Amino acid sequence: MESITFGLFFLGAIFFAYRAIVSKRILSATIYLACISALVSAVLYRLGAAEVAVMELSVVAGLVNVLLVYAVSVVGDDAFDPPSVVPKPLAFVIVGLIVVLLGWTAFPAVSVYFERGSTTLAVALWQSRVLDVWIQIALIFSGVMGVLGLLSEKTPGKTEEFQP
Amino acid sequence: MAGILVVLVILLPWVGALAVWLAQNRQPKLQHTLAVIFSVLAALASILLLGDATSDPVIQISLGSAFGELTFVPDGLAVSLTAIATVIGSLAVIFSMEYMRGDEQLGRYYFLVLFFIGAMTGLVLSGNLLFTFFFWEITALCSYGLISFYNDDPKAVAGGIKALIITQVGGVGLLAGTLVAFTALGSFQISDLLANSSALPAASLAFIAFSFLIAAAAKSAQFPFHSWLPDAMEAPSPVSALIHAATMVNAGIYLLARFYPAFEFVPGWRTSVLLVGAISALIASLSALVATDLKRVLAYSTVSQLGYMVYAIGSGSVLASQYHLLNHAFFKALLFLAAGSVIHSVGTRDMRRMGGLRGKMPFVRNVFIIGALALAGVPILNGFWSKELILEVSLENSPLWIHVLMLAGVGLTAFYTFRMIWLVFFGQERDALHYHPAGSPMKFSLAILAVGTFTTWLLFGGLSELLASTLPYHDIEVASTAELVTALLSAPATWFTLVIVAVGFAICWVRARGYRLFGGGWLTPLVESSFGFESLNQWIVRGVSTSAERLRATQTGELNWNIFGIFGGLLLVLIILWLGVK
Amino acid sequence: MTFTPMNIVLLGVIALLGVGFYGLLVTRNLIKVVMVLQILIKGAITALVLAGKLSGNLGLGQSTAATVIVADTIVAVVGLALAVQVRRRFGTLDVPKISTLRG
Repeated sequence: MESITFGLFFLGAIFFAYRAIVSKRILSATIYLACISALVSAVLYRLGAAEVAVMELSVVAGLVNVLLVYAVSVVGDDAFDPPSVVPKPLAFVIVGLIVVLLGWTAFPAVSVYFERGSTTLAVALWQSRVLDVWIQIALIFSGVMGVLGLLSEKTPGKTEEFQP
Repeated sequence: MAGILVVLVILLPWVGALAVWLAQNRQPKLQHTLAVIFSVLAALASILLLGDATSDPVIQISLGSAFGELTFVPDGLAVSLTAIATVIGSLAVIFSMEYMRGDEQLGRYYFLVLFFIGAMTGLVLSGNLLFTFFFWEITALCSYGLISFYNDDPKAVAGGIKALIITQVGGVGLLAGTLVAFTALGSFQISDLLANSSALPAASLAFIAFSFLIAAAAKSAQFPFHSWLPDAMEAPSPVSALIHAATMVNAGIYLLARFYPAFEFVPGWRTSVLLVGAISALIASLSALVATDLKRVLAYSTVSQLGYMVYAIGSGSVLASQYHLLNHAFFKALLFLAAGSVIHSVGTRDMRRMGGLRGKMPFVRNVFIIGALALAGVPILNGFWSKELILEVSLENSPLWIHVLMLAGVGLTAFYTFRMIWLVFFGQERDALHYHPAGSPMKFSLAILAVGTFTTWLLFGGLSELLASTLPYHDIEVASTAELVTALLSAPATWFTLVIVAVGFAICWVRARGYRLFGGGWLTPLVESSFGFESLNQWIVRGVSTSAERLRATQTGELNWNIFGIFGGLLLVLIILWLGVK
Repeated sequence: MTFTPMNIVLLGVIALLGVGFYGLLVTRNLIKVVMVLQILIKGAITALVLAGKLSGNLGLGQSTAATVIVADTIVAVVGLALAVQVRRRFGTLDVPKISTLRG
């Protein structure tokens, strides 16, 4: 029963992911992305990681999606879908090979079950991995600085067309 | 104490390089001063190190199981070469104070020269083969940078690239030998290779021996890799003196000398070394007979003298080769710097346009003649003693026909040396050339080198004792200078050689009187194609360039293809893992 | 070959990663690249949580996943700001046209 639930969730996620990649309009891709987020969040919840599921839903499906929509609105959603640079069959082949090999080698990994002490998220995050928290704070700072710096750059006069 | 000196000797030039770069080209006087100070300090440190030579490693830093230990071993071979490199380096830097005055890219020049000096000392002091390779590559890089220093001149750039590619072929040989030694021995330490060489499987040892021979031949411009050195004369003269006469090209000789005990019993190796040395000495002497560019003659003579050193190692005497290396470094550096003064003065390198300069540059003329006589092997000057020692050793240990060829080489050396002196300084003035006398930095370096040319032969006793006491695997006999003098002067072979030198001078004198010193007839076309080997070297250089151009197509700069490349790598890793799991 | 639920999750993660790889190879639009990165990150955090669950150390798995989410959000934010600037400066978001590091 569990397997089927997981299986359905993942099938949905993969379907939506594929649709997001091949869609011509970016706005529809953002909607697909939100659906993927929801499904993955459900998977995470069923795995037992409730807090991370909530983070995934609120941050990725919420914040990042809204940002994507904002960026698209600023940039303008011109529906262009040029043919890809790498030929599609070649891309399929190499990704297929990677997936098959990875699946084949990693398959037995799930049967390696070793009992370590189980910690709750609270203990893990604030005590043993407290350095991670500091790094996250530093990351957020630098990200904010970066965005402020980037968005405050004035365009030089008119928009210069790039001459390739 | 030795440990600190070793660190100083390697790091002082590097710190100096950094300091010169930081001083920036707007303050040339500061750059000159800093370069001189740091190189002289390094020279002092290396002279102090001479007293502390030992065969034990003085610095040992463990680098984990992959790279072994980083050790520096200041034994006799290393400290003598270090002293030569830093002393002649500092003299070349002092000479550059005037030679490179007014140059706009002084920072780059001094940086490369100082970086090179530090790398050369690191090369000879290193006790870990991997680090020897590392320093080897740094010296190749600096050599390329300095040959192509005048990078607006396409000839200089072409010369630099040719030198780089051919010495890199040697570098590949060194690396291959190092890796095979590592797989056979489990260690990168030179002392391990020397101690356990007989325990290695014969095929591995032979591979290592011959790949090191290729590395040495490529670096020291020996046959069949000899054609890069004459083309490297586009470099500024202090660079030619330092790198292509006194230090970098000695790295190949160092390699052969260092590993001689390990390889001497590999079948065919000693004969190959003998032949490589002899052929180089001969071809280069022949080529010098017809060259018209002053520095090219000196380049050919360097190849020839290095051939004598290689030949000495092939004959079994590391001591003779190191002694000749010491003397050669001094008189060759003297010759290059003096030639540099002449060229700086009159503005041309073509000997056909010089002539009759003897009255106008008396000081340079005198030191040049001193250096040239040392090169030819005239008694009292240092070249005579070491050359005689080599010929003495070869008479005992080598087949007679090769010995005769080397004797012929001595005669040819005398001939082209006399030709060079005559064409530059004597005879009639062939072209109206502007000249100006050498300034004091130039004169200072030249004077010290000239004094050295008169006196370094006296160091034989000290050198043999230094080498014998600190090189446990080599079989070096200790002999004092007095013993050397008496042995050489009493051997009839010595007088025979002197006769040959005199004959060489005489033939040249006769031809000079008849103004028949130009035009080699049948010899010139042979020389210009480097006896057929230019095509080999051109083939290597062209092959590398075209394959580099073709591989450029893979650097598309397009994101999707770059990601494809990443995935290709990932696929490779996964395949390897999958094969390992099975 | 038993297909326990954990096996399914593992295969699902690998499939998600595969779709993400395909997307990176095929996309030509800079904003879509940011989106595909998001898909990849979802696969990554699921893998981390899965590893935490399998080793019994779910708290550690979750905290690492949380760190990854924060980092990935920053990447997305800065990437989008870059995309906006690129559009202003080059006039296009087509990745091959704005690649100037060539040769």
